[in-house]
Parts: sequence; structure tokens; C-alpha cells
Amino acid sequence: MIKQPPSLFQTLIGIGVALVGLGLALGAIGISSTAGYGGVGPNFLPWLIAVALLLCGGFIVWESRSGGFRSMDVPTGAPMAYWPGFVWVSAGLLANAALITSIGFIFSCTLCFVLAVQGLRGAAGRADRRPVAWLKDVLIGMAIAAPVYWTFTQFLAINLPGITSTGWL
Amino acid sequence: MDVFNQLLQGFVTAATPVNLLWCLVGCALGTAIGVLPGIGPAVAVAMLLPITAKVEATASMIFFAGIYYGAMYGGSTTSILLNTPGETASMVTAMEGNRMAKSGRAGAALATSAVGSFVAGTIATVLVTLFAPIVAELAVKLGPPEYFMLMLLAFTTVSAVLGKSTLRGLTALFIGLAAGLVGMDQISGQARYTGGVPELLDGIEIVLVAVGLFAVAEAMYAVLYEGRVVEDQNRMSKVYMTKKDWRRSWPAWLRGTAIGVPFGCIPAGGTEIPTFLSYATEKKMARDDVKAEFGTAGAIEGVAGPEAANNATVTTAMIPLLTLGIPTSNTTAILLGAFQNYGIQPGPQLFTTSSGLVWALIASLYIGNAMLLVLNLPMVGLWVKLLKIPKPYLYAGILIFATVGVYGMRQSAFDLFLLYGVGVLGVVMRRFDFPTAPVVVGMILGPLAEAQLRNAMSIGEGSAIVFIQRPVSLVLILVVLAVLLLPRLARYWSARSQLAWKQ
Repeated sequence: MIKQPPSLFQTLIGIGVALVGLGLALGAIGISSTAGYGGVGPNFLPWLIAVALLLCGGFIVWESRSGGFRSMDVPTGAPMAYWPGFVWVSAGLLANAALITSIGFIFSCTLCFVLAVQGLRGAAGRADRRPVAWLKDVLIGMAIAAPVYWTFTQFLAINLPGITSTGWL
Repeated sequence: MDVFNQLLQGFVTAATPVNLLWCLVGCALGTAIGVLPGIGPAVAVAMLLPITAKVEATASMIFFAGIYYGAMYGGSTTSILLNTPGETASMVTAMEGNRMAKSGRAGAALATSAVGSFVAGTIATVLVTLFAPIVAELAVKLGPPEYFMLMLLAFTTVSAVLGKSTLRGLTALFIGLAAGLVGMDQISGQARYTGGVPELLDGIEIVLVAVGLFAVAEAMYAVLYEGRVVEDQNRMSKVYMTKKDWRRSWPAWLRGTAIGVPFGCIPAGGTEIPTFLSYATEKKMARDDVKAEFGTAGAIEGVAGPEAANNATVTTAMIPLLTLGIPTSNTTAILLGAFQNYGIQPGPQLFTTSSGLVWALIASLYIGNAMLLVLNLPMVGLWVKLLKIPKPYLYAGILIFATVGVYGMRQSAFDLFLLYGVGVLGVVMRRFDFPTAPVVVGMILGPLAEAQLRNAMSIGEGSAIVFIQRPVSLVLILVVLAVLLLPRLARYWSARSQLAWKQ
């Protein structure tokens, strides 16, 4: 163990886990307790998990405030996160989710690919924003997305969104 | 004899040209996935689960099994040449294999790993053939209380025992169980935690969680923390073992197999323990001159044993999956999901209700093992070329496959937003050393365990005494308690005796 991440993050994780538990408990109030013959209704497991998560969250907060997580491996990679790259990848994934039904699988995935490549290249310290690099990424993205699309729509008959109904684009 | 006839029938089904092709494609794809850093068999199978909508059950299960085994073979290549194990199963291989490669013996390490995987995989498949039907026959006698306890045992081992921290393991398990709650209750049909979102009525897709936790999180983690990691690839040498290498390898293969087999059979999952145990055994049993190679020039036994143990465990993990319906790893959990997509519930009845499928699947394990030996010995140079793919293209490409896997299941753009959220969760889990297997196992086994619990309680007329009234259930409770308490007590006694010794 060399250096643990700041315990503030660990505390936040504990709080997050406890909040999930709290949310589950609030949701469990509205679930029927009709137990029938077995005595265990549909709200039993939700309550059990809610309480367990509240306890886990509490213990995580306690661990974080008393020396940090126990028996924790040193995380691999850089000690500090590269956030600009994360923003690029997030933009790619979210744009893909937002646009897939309107611009179709091939273009939407190509967009996701291009944005993610920008982020990943920036993370490696080799950012390249020249138009030719963008064009190359677009072509490579399409060269991956299009055959994947055709394999699924044409050969496996799986419905993926396209801008035409031919299953080719 | 009956087993032999059924196996032959399985071979007849598995050896049809179409099924052979699925097996070959699965093995090749699995090897490629194993070689590529960043994705493992669980995520590969998860991303391809949409094919279950169209491809016939036997063909797709043969395909998925090929991916599962292929990834095990391919994973060792990356471990040996790059020292970056794709998954926990190859961690031990990386220790000695990488040292062998650095001393110019990459070829011998790759060969012993491939042949060892074949030997162990084949022996373990024979054991699956012989024992799975027997376990299934015994399992028929189990009722809901015993099933619930078996699932509880799986939960306990996956979360509290195998990981480094019981607290983080349990947290991951309960998050998985919570995800499994979303949707309609199996017994009463009541909607739970859907928040009025119609897409959530059918629950959260296991594909979405697996792909988000493994593939999307991997890409996010790479961009956040591993952008500047430079990997130093060892030079390949001819894939060849000398007579001495053979002499040193085969006992290690057999020992590794003997260690790996029982770990696959019990619902305790994980390849970490058998591979580390095999490594420790090889090191302990080595002669002084060989012992000196461990951690220095690299000892071939340190690759041969753990690789065999790994493959033996992975193969025999099919026994609890097929006979009890209990997955003990990420990949077997996803395979269970694949069965469920066909409306098939693995368990003791599987050998009677879907006997054709099961025996074809078992036969395909023999065929796949032979195919993988060919794919991984003469063709290893081809797979190594995959390591030249630039990382930005590799991870961005994975996101395209993630999209097709998740969108293909339900044709829902909402799932893609959810995928992003699960990816972020996966990054946090990886950064803070939370295990991911309990999430997947909890999510897929949770609803089944809940149903068994409620059925068991109905049998007991609302009384939990039913769990201790039935002998098998009682034994399982004791095993769960032993698994939970014994390691802690051992640590406590060891600390006390050390303290006493110091005083």
C-alpha cells in the first residue's frame, strides 16, 4: 500500500451507498407486504437490502474516517484523473444515446467513436485536432460501425435503428 | 454406458458443419478477446447476447462456450508478452510467464500454457461428462430451502470470502441484489423500483450491467488514469518446448488440474485461489535449482501449473451452472442469462428437459479444446499482432460493440443512458477496489434466491425453522458459517499466537 486516494472520496462513496439504501427503504414503504402463505412478501428483500446497504454505507464512512479502506490495492494508473479525456468519452456515449434513434446506428456510433478517440488520444498526450486526423477517425469509426450494423441487421435479423428501413444504412 | 451414448449423441449435434463453425468462430473470437487487454469473456458474451433472439439455443451456447474457453487461452498470451493480465485468472501466469519472456523464453511459456490449458481442459471436461449427470440426479432431490442455502453460499463466497475486503465485497453484492429488485416481482407480479419508467418494468438487463461495469468502465478508466501507461512488449520466440520443458511441465499440468477441478465444482467460484495455490505448490515442490528460477529467470512450472488450474476450474464451473443453475463467476452468470433468454433455467431438470442441448454443449467443450490448441500454438503470432492496435481505437471500438450489445437487447435508447451511469459506477468501483463479480452474481441470482426463499418459507408455513429441519439445508448453513468464520478465527488465533510468542 503506497498511497490511498483521499479519504474524502471514500467518505462520499460511503454516503452514496447509504443514500442508495435510504432510497431503497423509501421505495420499500410503497411495496405491498402481503405475505400469503409463506410469511415473506414482496417487500421483504427490499427492506433487507435497504438495511444492509445502510449498514455497509455506515461502515464505509467509518473506515474512511479511521485510516481509509482496509486491505485496498493501490489503484493502477496515474494518481490524478485526466478529466478532459473523460469529458470527450462521456460526450461520445451520451451523444450516442441521444441520437441513435434519429441519425441511426452507423452515424451515431461513428460519432461516439470519434469523440472517444479524441479523449483517449488526449489522455495519451497525443491529441491531434487536425482535420485530416478527424477524417481518418470518422472513416475508421464507420469501417467498424457499418459492418457491425450489417452483421446484426442482415445476418442475425436484429433490429438496430437506421436512417432507412433497408437495414443497410 | 448411458452417459457415453448421450455424449456420442452430443457429438453428432455439435459436429454438424453449422455448429462446428459457431464453435470455431467462438474460439477464435474468444482468443482475440483474451489477447486484447481491456475486455474479458464475460463482457464479450454479454455484448453478443442479443444473438439469442435469432440464433438457435444449441448453436449460441456452443458459440458462447467457445468464447469462454478461448478467452482463457488468449489471456495467457497477453500476460506472458505484456505482463498485463486481462483478468484475475491470468494474474499468476503473468508472474512467471513474463519473467520467462524477458529471459527470451516467451515461446516455451506460451507453449506450456497452451498445452497445459488443453490437458487440464480435456481432463476437466471428462470429469464434467462423468459427474454432471450424477450431480444433477442428486440435485433433483433438493428443494427450495436447499437451493436458497446454495445460493446463499454462492453469495457468501463470491462477496465475503474471495475479495480482499468483506465490507466492499458485501456492498458490491447488495448493489447487485438491489439492481435485481428493479422490475416486476416474480411471484406477485408487483412492480418494484420502476419509478414509473416503462422500460424498467422488465428489470435491468444483465447485459447492460455487465457491459457497463466491464467494457464502458474499462474505456473510462483508461482515459482517466491509464492514458500515459506505456506497455513494454516482450519479444516473441519460437513456440517450442524442449524435452526438458516437457519433463518439467507435465507433472505441473496434472497437479494444477487436480487443484483446479474441485474449485470449479463447488459454488465458491473464482480462479484466484486455485491459480495462486497451484503456483505456491509448484514453488514449494521445486528442487533448489528450479526454485532459484522462480521470480528471477522464470520457472516453467510456475506457468504450467496455474494455467492448468485455471482451465480446470473454468471447465468444472460448468457443473454448478448446468446442474444447480448457480453461476460462480462473471462469465457463468452471463451464460446463465443466455440460458434464461431462451426460457431455459439451468438446474437438475436441464439434463432431462434439454438433454440434447446439454450434451451438445459438453461435446463442444472437447471439440473447442482441440480447436484452441491449434489456434493458440501455430497461430499465436497472428494473435500477437492484435496487440499492435492503438489503444484509442481499441477502447473507442469497444464502445461501438457495447452499444450494439445493449441496444440490441431491448432496442431502448434509455438503456444507453443507463449504460453510461453503470460505466461511471464501474470506474468508481475499480478505483476504490470494489469487486465487480458480486454485483453481476447478485443481480442474476438475487431474484432466483428470493423466489426460492419465499417458496421455502411457504413449505415451512411461514417458519424459518424449515432451513434447519432439512439435513442438507442445515449442512449448507454450517458450511456458510464455516466459510465466513473460519478464516477470521484463523487470523485471530494466528495474531494471538504471534503476540504470545513475542511476549
